Amino acid sequence: MTPEQQAFLAKKKEKAAIRRQKGDEKTELGITSLMDIVSIIVVYLLKSYASDPVVINPTAGQKIPLGTADSPMQDGMPIFITLRGITFENKKLVGMTNEGDIEPNSVKDHLIGPLYDALAEEVDKAKTLAENTGKPWSGRAIIVGDQELKFSALVDVMYTAGRAEFSEYSFCIIRKS
Amino acid sequence: MPRKKLEEEEIVANLLPVLNIMFLLIPALLLAMEFASMASINVSPPKFSNTPSEPKPEEEKKEKPLNLKVFVMEDGYRVSADGQQEGAEAGKATDSKAPTIQLAKAGAPLNDWDRYDYAALEASAKKYKSLFPNETIVTLSAESKIPMQALIFTMDALAGRTCKLGKAMKGEKVPDDCYFWQPVVEGGAG
Repeated sequence: MTPEQQAFLAKKKEKAAIRRQKGDEKTELGITSLMDIVSIIVVYLLKSYASDPVVINPTAGQKIPLGTADSPMQDGMPIFITLRGITFENKKLVGMTNEGDIEPNSVKDHLIGPLYDALAEEVDKAKTLAENTGKPWSGRAIIVGDQELKFSALVDVMYTAGRAEFSEYSFCIIRKS
Repeated sequence: MPRKKLEEEEIVANLLPVLNIMFLLIPALLLAMEFASMASINVSPPKFSNTPSEPKPEEEKKEKPLNLKVFVMEDGYRVSADGQQEGAEAGKATDSKAPTIQLAKAGAPLNDWDRYDYAALEASAKKYKSLFPNETIVTLSAESKIPMQALIFTMDALAGRTCKLGKAMKGEKVPDDCYFWQPVVEGGAG
């Protein structure tokens, strides 16, 4: 072993001895950098926070139509129509046939019975609430359809909503970028 | 008396409570996050088709209504104004055999969204708008099998694909590149 190597090893041993003598140090976790990351995430999420009066959560497998319109969503009652069925207030009311038509036993003269009952009940509630709060009732139905939904099914839903005293309709679309 | 020397103490802010709140905010905001930006197309039911929503000036009342109607068929669009189908045979009001605007992709399946000639329909809407600048209503109908996406693209073409009504909804003037942006959906019209 050369004298340089011996000196190096001696120095190393000396350092190790000093480190052992020091004992346990109280170490603190540096959370400033973590705080920075979390702050950035929170700001990003706040920016993409949905500010629409109605939050539309499409049902599984539903493909909402695309469009170039940019009118913001207005307050209303969403009716979800997919190729599997019609959902209102998180309840599947009517099913669809394999051909994409509304189950024939649920429709009579364009009126979808179970949907009409559910809509009429909700309209009564909304009207009572509007009277009590002194706010006007908009009577708007938001139709959240599917790209492949047949026009005949769409018209039946619109007719049923009209019979349940809805006077305005909005088609929900995904804005094309 | 000798004054006491002030000793500077290093104050470390306790960030843990703030961090706890931040961590709770993340899942709450993720739940309310808008993954795709939604928009809406306001559609009027047929009963409002002939009733203007706002009172118009005296000179506008004198203008003859256009009554623009577009019928989406499996083989194209049938466009008619004031009861007269565009491109119908001479002496006939309608000619159901021939659509006014043919398909852009003949023979394409119904779920091929490019099968319709949206550019031609938009050009037709622009032409009518130049003749009737105060008209904004179009009556839209379709054959039973027509998918909703084709209907939405048709509405976009009739309104003008560059038409942005977001600001107009807040009270600003409707842009000039918006043609027929108030669709009335009818079942079995045409």
